[in-house]
Amino acid sequence: MINALKEQKGNVLTVRLVGAIEENVVFEQLIGVPPAALDVNCKEISRINSIGVKSWIKFFQSCQAKGTKLRFLECSTQIVEQINLISNFVCNGVVESVYVPFSCKKCHSELVGLFKTEDLKNMKFKLPLVKCNKCGGDAEFDDIPEEYFSFLSR
Amino acid sequence: MAKTLLLISDKKEDHAFAVEVAIAAGLSLMHVTNPGQGVVLIGQEDISVILADASSRELFQEFEDAIQGSIGLFSDKINSNAIHFISSEELENVQYLVQSPLFGHFVLRNFQDPKKVGEHYGRIVKATLAERAFGLPALLKPGTKVQIIKLAHTSQKNEAVEAIKSLLLSARFQNRMATAIATAVDELLMNAMFDAPVDEMGRQKYSTTPRSVLLKLEGTAEVEMHVGYDGEYAAISAIDNYGSLDKVKLLSHIAKMYADEAYKVKTNVAGAGIGLGQVFRAGGSFFFVSESRVRTEVTVFFRKTSRYREFRNQFRFLSTQFYF
Repeated sequence: MINALKEQKGNVLTVRLVGAIEENVVFEQLIGVPPAALDVNCKEISRINSIGVKSWIKFFQSCQAKGTKLRFLECSTQIVEQINLISNFVCNGVVESVYVPFSCKKCHSELVGLFKTEDLKNMKFKLPLVKCNKCGGDAEFDDIPEEYFSFLSR
Repeated sequence: MAKTLLLISDKKEDHAFAVEVAIAAGLSLMHVTNPGQGVVLIGQEDISVILADASSRELFQEFEDAIQGSIGLFSDKINSNAIHFISSEELENVQYLVQSPLFGHFVLRNFQDPKKVGEHYGRIVKATLAERAFGLPALLKPGTKVQIIKLAHTSQKNEAVEAIKSLLLSARFQNRMATAIATAVDELLMNAMFDAPVDEMGRQKYSTTPRSVLLKLEGTAEVEMHVGYDGEYAAISAIDNYGSLDKVKLLSHIAKMYADEAYKVKTNVAGAGIGLGQVFRAGGSFFFVSESRVRTEVTVFFRKTSRYREFRNQFRFLSTQFYF
């Protein structure tokens, strides 16, 4: 199940999506009429299935058609995977920031770090090591760089 | 007399892989390095399994032409259920394979450890040699416990998906891996619940029914999920009683990529047509077994790794076994 937490500031509607996006999601009900500007916070989207992807594209395409300025923030790894797999997943919106997966070299714990896409472009896939918050060891990027960051070169 | 596996390849890694497959499947191995020699043997000997290098369109074409020119594509010596193509290219780059009437199995040549993956794939090959390749226990290490869950209502799908995720997390799969596998299970169950059911004429019953509609799954419509973990591979099967799997449609969906071209939302069908392809790209391997009008079992395999990078990049295959 997905939940949407909404906040309106000026003409920008910020929507925080929380949970799994699957066949029961009705974005038209969750988000409502597309506003002039829509910021979608994707940090807490835990999972998305194929029917969820279809609903997502259908809704955000309707936003695009109505001229809504779309921004996607704090995209979870699940959403980044979809952005990479489906060329029109963000429907001409701007991907502002994404979570990047890391794995501790010592204890193999999973970590994520938030990066602005602009910064990632400047880094050219060379990500810094981060400290594991469980054992203090070094954690390195844990995915295939050419695939995880492929959306940056579109 | 032992049945025979014929390897047609000049690559050392294919040979190392084939040796392990043959051992695991209880087959004797014959090896030739080019398609012409291979097809001569297929014509002369009683070959049970063919493992052929199809790394390029030219190599595949050579194989297909040699068969067409001697035995014939539709000869009883040629059975797509017994032909396994090996390629270093991803599935979307070998459309010529999936579109061929010879296509039965696709093996991605990222063997890493040929002994281990050969042993794993050997179990698949062994299963294909049985009268029917149904049943998860034969596809995992001997003695692996397989849990059976019956789903009597479509509303139980999400609960089953979450249960699988919890189970994998308790088996110390990373969260991202567990999520990828749970999503695979979601796709398999949704297909078994909504795509498999057909009427007496073989027409899909729910092609336009929204996947959020709640349906009872009684009698023929009942869906089973079988789950096993052998310490290395997690495997989940979704089973329906229709045997309606369409090979051409299935392969065209899986081999389609939307990373470069736009995904078009089709409103005249309820499905999305992207689920299985995404599972394959997330590291999953598939074994589709379907007996027409009887039963379909779709099994997905994922190897547990210590890091997600290896999980995504693991050895993969797409195997199909159709009985008419």
